[in-house]
Amino acid sequence: MVLFEQMIEATVAGDQERCVSLARQAVEQNVEPLEAIEQGYSRGMSIVGEKFSRMEYYLPELIRCADAMKAAVDVLRPHLGKGGAGGSKGAGGGPGTVVIGTIQGDLHDLGKNIVKTMLQAAGFDVHDLGCDVQVRRFIDKAEELQADLIAASAILTTTMAYMPDLVSLLSEMGLRERFKVMVGGAPVTPEYAEQSGADGYGENAAQAVEVAKGLVLADRGGNSR
Amino acid sequence: MIGFWDVYKRSEAGPFVKEQEFDRQVGAVAARLVAEHEIHFDPQQVIPSDDALADRVFAAGLALFLELGIYCRDTSRLIKFSPEEVRWALQHAPRTVTYGQGPDQRVMRHRSVEDPLPPFCLNTPVGCTVAEERFVAMVQSYAQEPLSDTFSSAFSQTVGGRPIKSGTPQEVEAAIWNVVKLREAARAAGRPLIGIHNLISNAEKTDATLAAIQEEFGAHPNDGLGVAAIAEMKADYERMKKVVFLDHKGFNRYGLYGPIMGGYAGGPEATAIVHVAHHFLGLLAFGAQWHDGFPLHLMQGCNSTRDLLWLISITGQALTRNTHLLIGVSPFTAAGPCTEMVVHEIAAVVLAATVSGLHLNLAAVARNKLPERSSGMEARIGAETAHRIAGQRITRARANEIVHRILGTYEAEIPKAPNGKRFDECYDLKTVRPTQEYLDVYERCKERLTGFGLDYSGL
Repeated sequence: MVLFEQMIEATVAGDQERCVSLARQAVEQNVEPLEAIEQGYSRGMSIVGEKFSRMEYYLPELIRCADAMKAAVDVLRPHLGKGGAGGSKGAGGGPGTVVIGTIQGDLHDLGKNIVKTMLQAAGFDVHDLGCDVQVRRFIDKAEELQADLIAASAILTTTMAYMPDLVSLLSEMGLRERFKVMVGGAPVTPEYAEQSGADGYGENAAQAVEVAKGLVLADRGGNSR
Repeated sequence: MIGFWDVYKRSEAGPFVKEQEFDRQVGAVAARLVAEHEIHFDPQQVIPSDDALADRVFAAGLALFLELGIYCRDTSRLIKFSPEEVRWALQHAPRTVTYGQGPDQRVMRHRSVEDPLPPFCLNTPVGCTVAEERFVAMVQSYAQEPLSDTFSSAFSQTVGGRPIKSGTPQEVEAAIWNVVKLREAARAAGRPLIGIHNLISNAEKTDATLAAIQEEFGAHPNDGLGVAAIAEMKADYERMKKVVFLDHKGFNRYGLYGPIMGGYAGGPEATAIVHVAHHFLGLLAFGAQWHDGFPLHLMQGCNSTRDLLWLISITGQALTRNTHLLIGVSPFTAAGPCTEMVVHEIAAVVLAATVSGLHLNLAAVARNKLPERSSGMEARIGAETAHRIAGQRITRARANEIVHRILGTYEAEIPKAPNGKRFDECYDLKTVRPTQEYLDVYERCKERLTGFGLDYSGL
């Protein structure tokens, strides 16, 4: 469909005005909103993500493209229910809801912000708790939002030490099976992630998105909530 | 003149800006200034000889600093400065810094582009995680290197068998332990009075840092502390508390800046001018006596890539040509200890830095990520190479030819660089001496690097 191709193009160009205009056009033409998101904007953002991974785009371009897509999805969102997208999780009927933040004591949020942007671009509904987030706050917010996934990052070895606490507190609260936990950040290795009891680890933002998708899908296949 | 309390006042009264908006402004302003100042990264000119380009990078960095200011995270306000205030601070910045005492007293001085004065070598495992029982041996391996002008810390996984968590009582205990053990390592190295340039690297909270930096634990008057900016162009009260403490206590201090190439600023050109601007941040907000950069590649977590070598060189030239500031850089390699690749990566960064007027903080290896992957040998490799480069009086043009040959040995391997060997596989822990295997790796690489144009014969 030409409209979808135009959406892809506008998203890759980070052209917010054009993205919004195409979304309005889709609404006027009664194009299924979820299809517009999945076949248009999300595919565009996939290309953006690939360009970012290859460093053909840098973070400012990634943010501009994500903003353009978000503005378009905001136009489409009120019409989503009409098309039978009810019951799906995440923004625009995306893969799921994520609560994200840098863990207790950690003020360095560049990596977390990139992962957030990439998760949003992949359609996740992402709730950003910011920096220096206490373990208990991750859990409370995840419960409040009925989230699928808690994602915590650390750039310091002294703050990374709170990651096992996140998993153990979930267990103590009887919520370990309720939420998947992902960790990442400069000092975090796959081995440390495993020792911490986390379900997933992302070496970089692109990998984090794939791991998040895998965890949510596996969870839906394996758990009844 | 402007003092710390003026900075503090502005942090409470400056313009209010949301942090996300500021992050976006960094990229937008940097992109505009890159275009206006016609700054272009040429992959064939990894170590450029273009003085005019260096001066434009300096001018753009200064313009960015004046336009954006410093973002104070605690108040969400901008701390802004006038051109006159920056000029005054630059004119009155320290010209020397003294570390250590007695026979191990060393003075850091300003270096110029292509300066025959060897770089000051501040040798350190850069907080590499190590088992508690191997902490002293690891840091001793740095302190005992003859070319170590100062040394600093690894990161002990535990203290008293307990993991260290930020903001807990254990963090205070661990910080004190860190200072005690660093001085113990200095004594074990036979250099009890060597300067420790960063006394604390295992405490995020300032209360733990302040509790530990005391004479009775082993801190000496000419030791010091790094005060880190939060990337990009941010500071907070947690860091500024250290400034007040240091003002009263008189220990040395340096600013620490790690802009991420590919992050908020954008590409190499934009990140270069943001990196320059960080030096003004450190000078004005932290009162930094000298400045240590560790610009990093977003995806590779190192700075031995072609674009980062350019960034290190051009920002070094920009700052050392236009100021008398004391500037350093920390090489970050992708490969780990006891590999030929780590020797080549260190040589490349050291070459770019040395001919560009920089001092050296040697060295973070294995992307500064893997536990136990760090040893004094990497500091030896970097310091010996730097001293020979300065002694050879290598020009930037010649350095550019050589660095291309070095890059040819490892550039394609960066994404899959070898992790290398653990400290206890690189050193005999009883004697704290490197293994013959590692010495042989270094010898082989020296032969290769000699073929590329470096001269190790004076060692």
